[in-house]
Amino acid sequence: MIRLACLLALISLVPLVVFIFDLNGATATVFSFVGMPALGLALLIYFVERWRAGGFHEGPGTNQD
Amino acid sequence: MNPNLPLFAGPPAAHGIPWLAVLAIVATAAAAILLAWGLIRGRMPASLGSAAVLLPVAAYGLASVHMLEASKNVAFCGSCHVMTPIVKSLQANDGSLASIHYNRGLVPHESACFTCHSGYGIWGGVDAKIAGVMHMVRTATGRYELPLKLNGTFDIDSCLGCHAPSPAFRAVEAHQDPDLQKALLSHEISCTGTCHPAAHTESALTGGVPKT
Repeated sequence: MIRLACLLALISLVPLVVFIFDLNGATATVFSFVGMPALGLALLIYFVERWRAGGFHEGPGTNQD
Repeated sequence: MNPNLPLFAGPPAAHGIPWLAVLAIVATAAAAILLAWGLIRGRMPASLGSAAVLLPVAAYGLASVHMLEASKNVAFCGSCHVMTPIVKSLQANDGSLASIHYNRGLVPHESACFTCHSGYGIWGGVDAKIAGVMHMVRTATGRYELPLKLNGTFDIDSCLGCHAPSPAFRAVEAHQDPDLQKALLSHEISCTGTCHPAAHTESALTGGVPKT
């Protein structure tokens, strides 16, 4: 799942780079409606995965180190 | 001298370094390295995980602020095909109120659309940004109709913000008429189309083709 989160976050960075170098309506639309949801989903998956691994529980959790 | 070349053009960053874009790229590059590492390894230590979360979020935050600023640009507005004829009409000096303002330098060339359509004051800018997002949604989904119409009423304070203090504007007899002022402020009538030319030509609002 961490791989999926990383992949989604990486995908979300592509529209950002394109948008920074070529700012127009199309790139801004992809940045807002593809990049942002992809990053949001990546963060959601990451936090769920960390929560399942005990990262947010009190006491000694299972760290993925 | 080539009349098509911009005046006072300098080397890159002659008018300042676009720090928002630069910082967004730096954060993106650092985030990409961390995320690629996480993708290959299939796990992420908590310390690196925090950085892998914060860096893309920071990059998106910086890029979003960059977008808010850069989307005021006329070229940005004209980059969506439905707006292209309006921007062309603006630059063509076709007698519309917008082109008169643009060609006489009465509005900033870089942000002419935003200047008139953002409304007056800080909330005018916020409203314009919300409207801009809705424009993107409608353009992406094809949910718009031609001829384009203003959503709601035009904020007359956008005109008055510049014109009201001007002695030449105040000296016009019609502008001193209390009934006319009341009618304008209550949006019963508009400056354009009655006393002043339409803001944009009909052909520009119909996507560059004459209305049938």
